[in-house]
Amino acid sequence: MLELVIETILLIFLIGTGITALKVKDLLAAIVLFEAFSFFAMLLYLIVGAPDVAFTEAVIGVFSTVFFIAALNKLKRGCKQ
Amino acid sequence: MHRSFGSIILDTSFRVLVPFTLVYGIYVLVHGEYSPGGGFQAGALLAVGVVLARLVQGREPIFNIKGTTALILAGIGTFIYGAIGFSTMIFGGKFLEYGRFPIDLHDPAELHALGMLGIEIGVTICVMATIITIFDALTGGEDLL
Repeated sequence: MLELVIETILLIFLIGTGITALKVKDLLAAIVLFEAFSFFAMLLYLIVGAPDVAFTEAVIGVFSTVFFIAALNKLKRGCKQ
Repeated sequence: MHRSFGSIILDTSFRVLVPFTLVYGIYVLVHGEYSPGGGFQAGALLAVGVVLARLVQGREPIFNIKGTTALILAGIGTFIYGAIGFSTMIFGGKFLEYGRFPIDLHDPAELHALGMLGIEIGVTICVMATIITIFDALTGGEDLL
């Protein structure tokens, strides 16, 4: 029962961060929200019982954020308010 | 533009953090049979040190693997994987059939563990060097800030 509640909360957060990352205008905010999406996906994998996949997701989440921010910095396209 | 980005807090936390990350990466690589982990995760954890050094300390960090060296290392990692895989074919087995190695061990499971550790080391080196190369290609050799 407790697992079901935690899974539901995590899924709500996952969908919320995903939709917000798509909707938001600022690219840096979208990148950070995508990192949050990756973190909630990692927690979900951990709850479901796949620690190996969760470990990979955590590591790849960190590196995809670094790569996205490096590419954004190269683009020189700032925030449009 | 060549000012260094890191303040003293970032620099000190980088110096404290990176040795533990490297030791944990090696642990994940060697202990990968019994716990979650393996070559890919270990390579990514080892690459954390170099990428963090480039983020904090700019163009000439104290802990560095150059971009060209990283490219060569990626090739070496792939070569280790392929060499172990094809050497079992030379000894008369299939691709990656570790039991055919002409090493005299009383337990064939030990031979499997050794062969798997070998290819995991190859995967680790390849992943680490590839992540550094991607980061270099994205930043284009400039400072990030």
